[in-house]
Amino acid sequence: MNEHLEEMLRSALGHASELAPQAPNNLSTHIVRRSRVRRIRAQALLAAAAVVVIAGGVAVAVRGAGHDATAVNPSVTPSPTATETRIPASVEKVWPEAVWKIPVKLPGGRKFNPRGFVDDHTLLLETWESFEKANAIYAYDLDSDRVRKITNIRTPKGVYASGYAAGGGRIVWQTIDVVHGKPVTSFWWAPVSGGEVTAVATERAVKGSGDKLTVVGDRLAFSLLEGGVFTVPLDGGAVEPVAGAAGHHILRWPWVGTPGLYTPEGEASFQELLNVETGETSRAVVHPEEQNVRCGVTTCTGTRGDHTAFYRLRDGSQERPLTRSSMSGLARDRFLTPFLPNPPGGQALYDLVTGKSGDLGLRPNVKGQSFAVELGFGDGRMVAYPLGSEYVIIDLAKIR
Amino acid sequence: MDDDSRFADFVAARADALLRYGYVLSGDPHDAADLTQEALLRLHRAWSRVYRKDNPESYTRRIMARLHISVWRRGRRERLFWDLPDQAHLDTLPSEAEQDLWQALKGLPRKQRAVLVLRYYEQLTDAEIATVLGVSRGTVRSHASLGLSKLRSSVPHPTATEGSAS
Repeated sequence: MNEHLEEMLRSALGHASELAPQAPNNLSTHIVRRSRVRRIRAQALLAAAAVVVIAGGVAVAVRGAGHDATAVNPSVTPSPTATETRIPASVEKVWPEAVWKIPVKLPGGRKFNPRGFVDDHTLLLETWESFEKANAIYAYDLDSDRVRKITNIRTPKGVYASGYAAGGGRIVWQTIDVVHGKPVTSFWWAPVSGGEVTAVATERAVKGSGDKLTVVGDRLAFSLLEGGVFTVPLDGGAVEPVAGAAGHHILRWPWVGTPGLYTPEGEASFQELLNVETGETSRAVVHPEEQNVRCGVTTCTGTRGDHTAFYRLRDGSQERPLTRSSMSGLARDRFLTPFLPNPPGGQALYDLVTGKSGDLGLRPNVKGQSFAVELGFGDGRMVAYPLGSEYVIIDLAKIR
Repeated sequence: MDDDSRFADFVAARADALLRYGYVLSGDPHDAADLTQEALLRLHRAWSRVYRKDNPESYTRRIMARLHISVWRRGRRERLFWDLPDQAHLDTLPSEAEQDLWQALKGLPRKQRAVLVLRYYEQLTDAEIATVLGVSRGTVRSHASLGLSKLRSSVPHPTATEGSAS
């Protein structure tokens, strides 16, 4: 009886499987495209590992004179060597001025996540009440290893603090809520010195999802995932669109561009750039057969028609091969994290400008799994990853 | 040949087989397409590692089975890349008994169904099923036995419908 049922089940499942829908011819093209979009989105949303750092990088840019005004015609020349494959010395040996190791837990045993730099020697940390749901932010002084709470964060169920940026003595961030089925973004700030959270009062609700924040003087600049760059006084007031930046996204202030990182049809990200302070524009050279082209303020990476990877300056000059494509582009227009040969496995941090590389120290476990560091696009300044009982923190801005 | 070309070749060669598997797992063409699409997206993300160290097809099938039984996934669907034809007609199954059995499978909890599909469609051993679903062998046996007994009670006794066949 059982045998008969089992036999019939085998037969019924086999016959029923023939009624399954068939795959379209171009399925893999769609899959590859959406997979890339997802990866980029995930990076943008999590602001995890390296991406984080909108905060510090921007704060420095805003304070500095002239920002990156010369960035479109950079004086640095990409190094002619391609990605290295030998095992380099550790990152702390190669760039001692840019690497710190801090305990993975705060005094008292709480876990945290590094979110960016507040200034040259201060990290912004976030603690969670549940997965990715922040309940407090802290300042960690890398010189003295002292940590102090900046403020507690409370968000409603399903709403998360994200997009931290620092500047003008404040930490700003956003929360995205869904109202009548549509995203609405709110902005908040707290003094770096510590204190209460204040909402940035906007005259009207900001409809859309914030994708990047920057403090510019006494204003908050932000762009939306749906496109558009706006500013609002940090002390509250009217949200004003930035002229000429409709459909644009913040790349690295004052540079904004289009399309942003979300390119569902495989367009080149940030092909068009606009400097909102000087009005300077730049259109990156992209050839028709190229794919997954990701542009920064000075360089672009992507794959050619023959699937080989390249990087070059935005004007199309000084093109060099890469041994492996970088889905998310280069961090700060020059850094990559190529995988090392296995064994021993792991990843290196590779600087295209100087040709130097350093071993991140990550190694696969017995199951062959390892923590992967995917560098951010745009001005990602911080690389942070857990390694045993320590967090390794790298400030890419300190690598000259 | 680079990773993307290998991935494209894999999808071209195996997508239909994965859809068939997704269809018997879920009993629904949309769910089959959704499971296949989602699993291939995850496969693409892990491709360079899976291609070198694992079997891409078993990796994908494992993801599909786990996705299907995950509580998290219920009620979630991504936009499909393609339009599906209208639901297939069950009367294309060769016998009434098989049609009844197919209908009865729809009444099973997902885990029970998944165990039966892995055992009788994928021809996996209970130990392999336990690994795929991330449960103990005992759990596999109890799901299988519960599932089979429900099917037995909901489909007519074979001798009643087919006489004393074989």
